[in-house]
Amino acid sequence: MEKSRRSFLKIISHILGGTLAAGILAPIIGLIIHPWLKETIYGTEDFIGIGNLDDFPVGIPKKMTVTSSKMDAWNIFEGLVMGSVWVIRQKDNSLKVFSTNCPHLGCGIDWGNDVNKFLCPCHEGVFDVNGKVISGPAPRDMYSYQTKVENNTVFVNYKNIT
Amino acid sequence: MANKFYEWIDNRTGLNTFLKIALDEPVHGGARWAYVFGSGLIFLFILQAITGIVMACFYSPSSTTAWGSVYYIQEQTSFGWFIRGLHHFGSSAMIILAIVHFFQVFIYGAYKKPRELNWITGVFLLIFLMGFGLTGYLLPWDQKGYWATQVATNIIGTIPVIGDYVKVLHQGGSDYGNFTLTRFFTLHVFILPLSLVTFLFIHVALFRKHGVTPHWKISEKLLKERVDPFWPDQVFKDIVFAMIIYAILAGWVFWKGGAELQAPADPASNYLARPEWYFLFLFQLLKYCQGNLLIVGTVIIPMIGLIFLFVLPFIDRTSSNSPVRRIPFFATISTGMIGAIALTVLAIHHDAHDVHIIHQREDAEIQAARAVILAKKGIHPEGGMSIFLNDPVYLGEKIFKENCNGCHKLNGVGGENGPDFTNFGSREWLFGLLKNPKDKKYFGDSGIMSPVKLPEESLWDISEFLLSQSGNLLNTNIDSLERGKELTLKGTCAICHPIGDINAKKVAPNLTDYLSETWLKDFIKNPDDQKFYGTKNKMPGYEGKFNANELDSLVKYLLSLSKDRLLVSECIRQEPVKNTNNVSPLTPNIYFGILTEKYLLASK
Repeated sequence: MEKSRRSFLKIISHILGGTLAAGILAPIIGLIIHPWLKETIYGTEDFIGIGNLDDFPVGIPKKMTVTSSKMDAWNIFEGLVMGSVWVIRQKDNSLKVFSTNCPHLGCGIDWGNDVNKFLCPCHEGVFDVNGKVISGPAPRDMYSYQTKVENNTVFVNYKNIT
Repeated sequence: MANKFYEWIDNRTGLNTFLKIALDEPVHGGARWAYVFGSGLIFLFILQAITGIVMACFYSPSSTTAWGSVYYIQEQTSFGWFIRGLHHFGSSAMIILAIVHFFQVFIYGAYKKPRELNWITGVFLLIFLMGFGLTGYLLPWDQKGYWATQVATNIIGTIPVIGDYVKVLHQGGSDYGNFTLTRFFTLHVFILPLSLVTFLFIHVALFRKHGVTPHWKISEKLLKERVDPFWPDQVFKDIVFAMIIYAILAGWVFWKGGAELQAPADPASNYLARPEWYFLFLFQLLKYCQGNLLIVGTVIIPMIGLIFLFVLPFIDRTSSNSPVRRIPFFATISTGMIGAIALTVLAIHHDAHDVHIIHQREDAEIQAARAVILAKKGIHPEGGMSIFLNDPVYLGEKIFKENCNGCHKLNGVGGENGPDFTNFGSREWLFGLLKNPKDKKYFGDSGIMSPVKLPEESLWDISEFLLSQSGNLLNTNIDSLERGKELTLKGTCAICHPIGDINAKKVAPNLTDYLSETWLKDFIKNPDDQKFYGTKNKMPGYEGKFNANELDSLVKYLLSLSKDRLLVSECIRQEPVKNTNNVSPLTPNIYFGILTEKYLLASK
C-alpha cells in the first residue's frame, strides 16, 4: 500500500514538475529566440536620397556619398556613411547608379576624365560609361543600383545590388 | 538504450549514488507542508536566475544604453514584459517567502543548538537577498531606480569614517555614471549570486546534516517511528508549492501588465525617491532621525537588529522548542516585526495622501508613456534622455517658458497680460472665451469682443465646430458640430470674423482652421496681421525670432495643452480620429489624466 502510494506520488511529481518546467521555459524560449522573430539591426530606409537631379551633369559620372540611418536594437544611428556610388545622368534624365567597388576584388573604381572610362587601379580593370567591362580581370559589368526620382530628388535603393 | 547510457554514465561518475544520497534523505516525523518554504525559496531563486540570465542577453549596463535596452525588453520583444515582470515581482515574492521561512524557523526553534550556523548562514542569505533588491532596482536606469538608489548610496555615505570611501567604491566615482551601473550590475549578476549560492550550499548542507526541526509537540517516539523518504514524499509537496507560487506570480504579472518602467533617469529633475516596498520601513525610519540623529536610523538601529539576529542562537539557551518557554525572544522579534510593518504602513499612508507625491506619480506615468512612444523611433546614442531632447513637445515647453509664460499663465504660473493657457484650445477653454471674453482668464479689460449671448449649449456647439476645423479633436460630436457650424456661419460671429477663406480680412481674427498648426504658426509670427488682430494687437510678433523647428515645437506644445486634442503627427496609428456620436473609450476618466490616456492610446 505504502509502496504503491509512493509510486503514484513519483509519477504525479514527474508530471507536475514537467508541467511547471514547461510553463517556465515556454516564455523563456520565446524571449531567447527574439532575433529569429524580428529584425534587430536594419537600415531605416530602402531608397536613400543622394541629391537633387539638377546636381548631376548629363553624361558625366559624379561620385556621391550615401548616408542613411540604422536601427540597432533600441538605438538609432543617423547620418551614417554607408558607402558611395557613381551617378550618371542620361540625356532622357534617367539615371544610372553604379557601385564604386570593382566586381573583381572590390577595389575602389575611379573615373578617368581624360579617357572617359571607369578605371580600377588595382588590376587595371576598365569599364565604359555604362559600366560595361572593356578589359581587365573583372568577371562582370559594374554593380548597379535601382534608382527613382521623386520631387526632383534622386533616391538609390542601396540594399539591392544588381 | 537510455538505460545503457545511464549505466555507462553511472559507472564512471557514481551519479546513481549521488542521487540516492540527495533524494533518499530520511525525513524524521514525516513529510510536512510546514517544510515547503525553504524549497520554495530555492525554486524562486532558480526562477530569478533563469529570467535574469535571459534578460542579460538583452541588457546593456551603461548610463546611455541601460534604459534603452530595458525599454527594448519591455516593449519590443514578445515575452520580455512577462519575463521582466516575473523577475521584478519574483524578488518581492522571495522577500515575502523569506519572511515566512524566517518565522517558521523561528517558531519551531530551529536556530537552537546544534543549528546555530544554519541560522547564521540564513541571516546572511537574507542580507544578500536585500542586496539583490537594492542593486537590481537601479539597473533599468529609470527615474524611480535612479533616485531611490541615490538614497541608498547616500545612506552608505553616513557610516562614520569609512562611509564616503565605501560610497565612492559602490558608485564607481563621486557621482552616478557608467561605473555605477557596471558596478551594480557586477554586484547583481556575479558577486551576489556567487555569495548566495555559496551560503545556500552551506545552509542546505547543514540542514541535511541536522535534519528538519520537528514540531515541538511531536514525541521522540513518533520521530523514530515515522520516517518518510525525501523523494517522493516531501518533494511532491515542494513541487505543488512551487506550482502555486508560480501560478500566483504569473497571475500577478499578467494582472499588473508586467513591471513598471519609468522615463529615463534625468539627473536634472527633482524626483521624489521612494524605495521598493520592502525597504520602506527603513526609509520611514529616516524621517524620524534627522540632523545629528541621522546615523541612528541609517546605521545604529539596523545594526542592532542585525546583531540581535546573529546572536539569537547564543542567547536563547532554553532547552525546549515550545514557544511558551521562549516568550522574551518572541516578544523581541514580534516588536521588531510590528515596528517594521507599522513604519511601512505609515510610509504608504503618507504617500497616498501627499498631493505632491500623487501629482508626481501622475506626471511620472505621463512621462513614462510618452518616453515609450518617443523611443519607438529609436534612441539616439546620447542615451535615454535624448528622446526628450529631440521631442518637439519637450523643446516647445522650454520655448514657452522662456518666451510666452511671462504674459500667458499656465496651470497657475505666469503673467496675466494675455489669455490663460491652462487647457488651451480645449472645448472648455473656448467655451469660457465665448461666454465672457473680458474675463481675467481671457482678454480682460482690453477685450473688444462682447460675450456671445446664446444659450450655453449653443456655445458648446460653436466650440465644437471651431475646434473641429483643425482635424485633431477627440470624440467629435457630429450633431453638435453641425449645429455649431450653422450658428457660426449664419449668426453674429461672421459679422466680425472671416471664416471659410484663410486670407480674408475683417475687424476680428480670421477663424478659418482656427487653432490648427498653420493658424497658430501664422498667428505667432504676425499677430498684428490684418487677418488676425491688426491694429488692435498687443502681442509681439515672433517672425524671424524662432526658426522653423522652434516654431513647430512651440505649436506642438501648445496643442498638447488641450485635453481634447491629439497631436496627429504623433499618433502612431496614422488614421485620423473618427467622428462619433457615442462616448468613446477615450472619455477622460482614468485617474492619471487625459494626457496619459492620449499617449497610451497612441502607443497601441
